[in-house]
Amino acid sequence: MITKADTVAIPLKTERRKEITPVDTLKKFFMWFVIIWFTIFTLMPMIWLVVSSFKTNTELVSSPFSLPTKWQFQNYINAFQVSGIGKMLLNSLIISIIATVLNMMVASMASFSLSRFQFKMRELVFGTIIIGILIPINALMVPYFTLINKLGIYDKHVGLILTYAAIGLPISTYIIRGFMSGLPVELEEAGIIDGCNFYDRFFKIILPLSRTGIVTAATFQFLFSWNEFIYAMLLTSSQNVRTIQVGIRYFSNQFTTDYTSMYAAIVISIVPSILGYILFQEQIISGLTQGAVKG
Amino acid sequence: MGSRLTRHDKIGIALFLIPAITLFIAFFVYPVGFVIVTSFMKWDGIGEAEFVGIKNFSTILGDKVFIRAIQNNIWWSLSGGFIHVPMAALVAMVLSKKPKGWKFFRTVYFFPNIISVVALAMMWMAIYNNQYGALNAILGKIGLQSLQNNWLGQLGSAFPALIIHWIFNIGYFMVIILAQISTIPQDYYEAAEIDGADGIKKDIFITLPLIKGAILTCMTLSMVSGLKHFESVFVMTNGGPANRTMMLTLYVYNQLRNFRYGLANAAAVVLIIIGICAIVGLNRLFSIDFKKIGRKKISTGGVK
Repeated sequence: MITKADTVAIPLKTERRKEITPVDTLKKFFMWFVIIWFTIFTLMPMIWLVVSSFKTNTELVSSPFSLPTKWQFQNYINAFQVSGIGKMLLNSLIISIIATVLNMMVASMASFSLSRFQFKMRELVFGTIIIGILIPINALMVPYFTLINKLGIYDKHVGLILTYAAIGLPISTYIIRGFMSGLPVELEEAGIIDGCNFYDRFFKIILPLSRTGIVTAATFQFLFSWNEFIYAMLLTSSQNVRTIQVGIRYFSNQFTTDYTSMYAAIVISIVPSILGYILFQEQIISGLTQGAVKG
Repeated sequence: MGSRLTRHDKIGIALFLIPAITLFIAFFVYPVGFVIVTSFMKWDGIGEAEFVGIKNFSTILGDKVFIRAIQNNIWWSLSGGFIHVPMAALVAMVLSKKPKGWKFFRTVYFFPNIISVVALAMMWMAIYNNQYGALNAILGKIGLQSLQNNWLGQLGSAFPALIIHWIFNIGYFMVIILAQISTIPQDYYEAAEIDGADGIKKDIFITLPLIKGAILTCMTLSMVSGLKHFESVFVMTNGGPANRTMMLTLYVYNQLRNFRYGLANAAAVVLIIIGICAIVGLNRLFSIDFKKIGRKKISTGGVK
């Protein structure tokens, strides 16, 4: 039954919605001002760099904001020839992938022991590993430098791989263990009845079920390894092992005054990150934010 | 699991823990111990180390460059916590209204966080460049030639220029806060509407209190990372001009490069202490339960 009050109230409400007050306009204006300001700040430098990388150096000076009169790829050819960027990207890829796989193996094995069994030292071992998250890794430059030298793996891929796998261990263990703890106990009890031993239960039951947690931790670990700079610089010296992040820094020495070729080299070094981000956006965002919020 | 472990299980548990514990001892326990012990020694890395008591600490605390580094790190942290993160919260609240194309903007704002710090620093060096840079070119175009500057080379402008190059890159914290906003039940707003609250009131009295935890977490993260920042300063100014942009980690690195390992590690100990005090202190101050926030993240499936 429709009362009088209802019939009056409904049009009143819609009427109020449609009415645009000066405050609404101001609010809308402010909202878009914020959105556009941050878009300009984020996007403009990149666009400017990309456009400039297709110009000649004289053009860059004479008309810094116009489109290039002729889109020429000479800068990109220079970039590849001068910087050895291909080799550096390959080094980064090899080191990041192996470090991530190693880190995941070690962290998920430890997490299995630390989550699915009750034993006396369990919380002590876990707690100690977690303290590692609090330690500013940058402060350990001298010991890492001497340790890697002592192990005889200075300026070798394996030196960086081991370092990265170890640095990421506390966070990975934290994420994966948290995930494994949440799996129901019945799963393993069923496994035991079916005659699964310790290793079967890990490889056939728990590991496959922890995939989500492992992927999150792996994303975080891979991005860390790919972007790491200090130890990539400190623990290597030759171009053979140089990663892309360290390589970028040398661009200003390599290209000296050939700015547009240097811009091309920077663009090349950014492209894989942007492509990876566009392909795996949701995964990367959740990996990065979860990893950090926990760390 | 049952409390009784079989012998087989015990061996398995131990075997599975060995790699992690070995790596942890080699890369955390031993290095931290090493840093602390050698911070009391005079050592060049090759010769014999010699115990000198707290001399290293009194040396660095008397070093103007070191004090400058600490000050810079504190400024870096404060701009992170009190300018960067509040801006991120503002943008998150704006995007949570789902204006046209908000997904596109969310993606774009995250770009600077996905390209490496070094690449971003190189990009901004190109913009700040004295002769070829975009910033000076813009100033020239709009008739403000008098403001043109060697941004990273001048005493006054170098440090602000460093701060500005990252302070608007709010994507990362914005995403964390945005995820928190998306967990707020819609009924809260509907209830407030019935009580006559308009848009801004809803933002201030409903959204803000409910995302306080996420904002405080972001402030902590931002401030702590500000204490150990290295890459962009190293690439863009290397501490110059005249040590105006020196940072703690860069100080450690420079001492290491000059084979003054004792001094490097004394500075590193100060860095570790400041870092841990900051985490524990801010945590107490904001009384955040990190574990709880982490769990919430999982239940909402991260960022949607």
